[in-house]
Amino acid sequence: MLDIQNLQVVFGTGRLRVDAVKNVSFRVEPGEAYGLVGESGSGKSTVLRAICGLAPITGGRVLVDGTEVTTPRSKAFYRTVQMVFQDPYASLHPRHTVDRTLSEPLAIHGEKDAEARILQALREVGLGPSFRFRYPHQLSGGQRQRIAIARALILRPKVLLLDEPTSALDASVQAEILNLLDDLRRKMGLTYILVSHDLAVVAHLCERLLVMRHGEAVEETTSVALRSGAASNEYTQSLIQASQGFTRHAKQAAEALAG
Amino acid sequence: MTTPLLEVEDLRVRFHLRTGTVEAVRGVTFQLGRERLGIVGESGSGKSQTGRAILGLTPPPGEVTAKRLAFDGIDLLTASKRTLRTLRGGRISMVMQDPKYSLNPVMTIGEQIIEAYQAHAKASRGEARDKALAMLEAVKMRDPARVFSLYPHEVSGGMGQRAMIAMMLVTDPDLLIADEPTSALDVTVSMEVLRILDELVTERGMGLIFISHDLKLVSSFCDRVLVMYAGRVVEELEAKNLREAKHPYTQGLMRCLPTLANDVRPLPTLNRDPAWAQ
Repeated sequence: MLDIQNLQVVFGTGRLRVDAVKNVSFRVEPGEAYGLVGESGSGKSTVLRAICGLAPITGGRVLVDGTEVTTPRSKAFYRTVQMVFQDPYASLHPRHTVDRTLSEPLAIHGEKDAEARILQALREVGLGPSFRFRYPHQLSGGQRQRIAIARALILRPKVLLLDEPTSALDASVQAEILNLLDDLRRKMGLTYILVSHDLAVVAHLCERLLVMRHGEAVEETTSVALRSGAASNEYTQSLIQASQGFTRHAKQAAEALAG
Repeated sequence: MTTPLLEVEDLRVRFHLRTGTVEAVRGVTFQLGRERLGIVGESGSGKSQTGRAILGLTPPPGEVTAKRLAFDGIDLLTASKRTLRTLRGGRISMVMQDPKYSLNPVMTIGEQIIEAYQAHAKASRGEARDKALAMLEAVKMRDPARVFSLYPHEVSGGMGQRAMIAMMLVTDPDLLIADEPTSALDVTVSMEVLRILDELVTERGMGLIFISHDLKLVSSFCDRVLVMYAGRVVEELEAKNLREAKHPYTQGLMRCLPTLANDVRPLPTLNRDPAWAQ
């Protein structure tokens, strides 16, 4: 479905040059969920932004369904690939109602039957028609993220790029959104690329994942391997350990693990 | 028995708004000795407002009442502004969430630590400077002299947060309130910051109030945990007994987190019982 070959993203020139992504390659099969994990500055979000045209592709190729993407991206591309952003407080227009937010992609792509599509989109993300004429400030964080997902799904894309979709949410709301994403993928046969710093979230939603650090791919592994603690890379191990919570004697614990 | 470091009884924080009165904290009671106390809750549960009310930092329209709010026997509600000023930053300090917003952007880190120190201790500039450098070393800065002369925008988030901890601990406070000190940081960095905080708190025998939304983190870091829901403490328990939590809200919070250890699908969600907020 998605093929990323030697992707390179560079910002700035000369002294200000930053190599945000260095030679990252991965393939995502149709219907698969693929995770990108790393700390801030590892370039995981930049990969997503480069795929959907929000960051420049300096080198390498991005193929969707076997064809290379054009810059600027075509309308057909956005029918196939849509993105959900991290902060639902920032990604919805504060002065547009839910109805207007959802009808905009339909208008851009000349879709008819907007009313029915909007109502259906709201139902799919578990919100009733009563939410249609609300403003973002009248919604909770979880409801806003549902609207953002509805906006991404209303054009019936095949690929959803999820950039930390739950990190701005409370734990209980995170569980609801993760369940929703799981359900939607099964029902609509969607392909996901999920970016997150939370290993547990990635392992929950994705089958395969790529660990990134300083713009480079460190290790590609599966969530099964992650759960069994079979990660070979030292950096991945340290991420796993950090996700288990605080330990007072970290060094001893690490040595014990090493046996 | 000696008097506890901090006594809070029936603490209430109200905000009178155009749309009516919102009670953010509704009758919180606890006592703190020289220990690590965690306050956990979701956004809007009143955990941060509790921390702010102790320091008298409730933002303007807010109104704080309590049957008793005392630090080391000093009543914080009736204390003069002058007394409060010597307590705040001197004997009680607070580490905020995001170093990007809580450090002064136009002052070097060293100057800020010196300023904090000189506000509470009679010390010459030279002494204050030595103290600041020692403190930067205590928070494991690799090159204290260099960090001393850097501006906040020149350091990373983890370094900024360590600089803030240095600034808060330079006056040797008895009580430290840390409001989500690591949620703006990466996991591996936040572990490092926590380890430093843990060492300093243990070494100096301070009391610590650790406010966070992360139940797992708090239970691994603190001795005792208060779980807040809708402005009330719904459960108080020893951190190591978190797994045996009685209240359905705490149990729900524990269960709804995805873990690496077991794969539960779909994740159990929280059914909020209106009775919890009563």
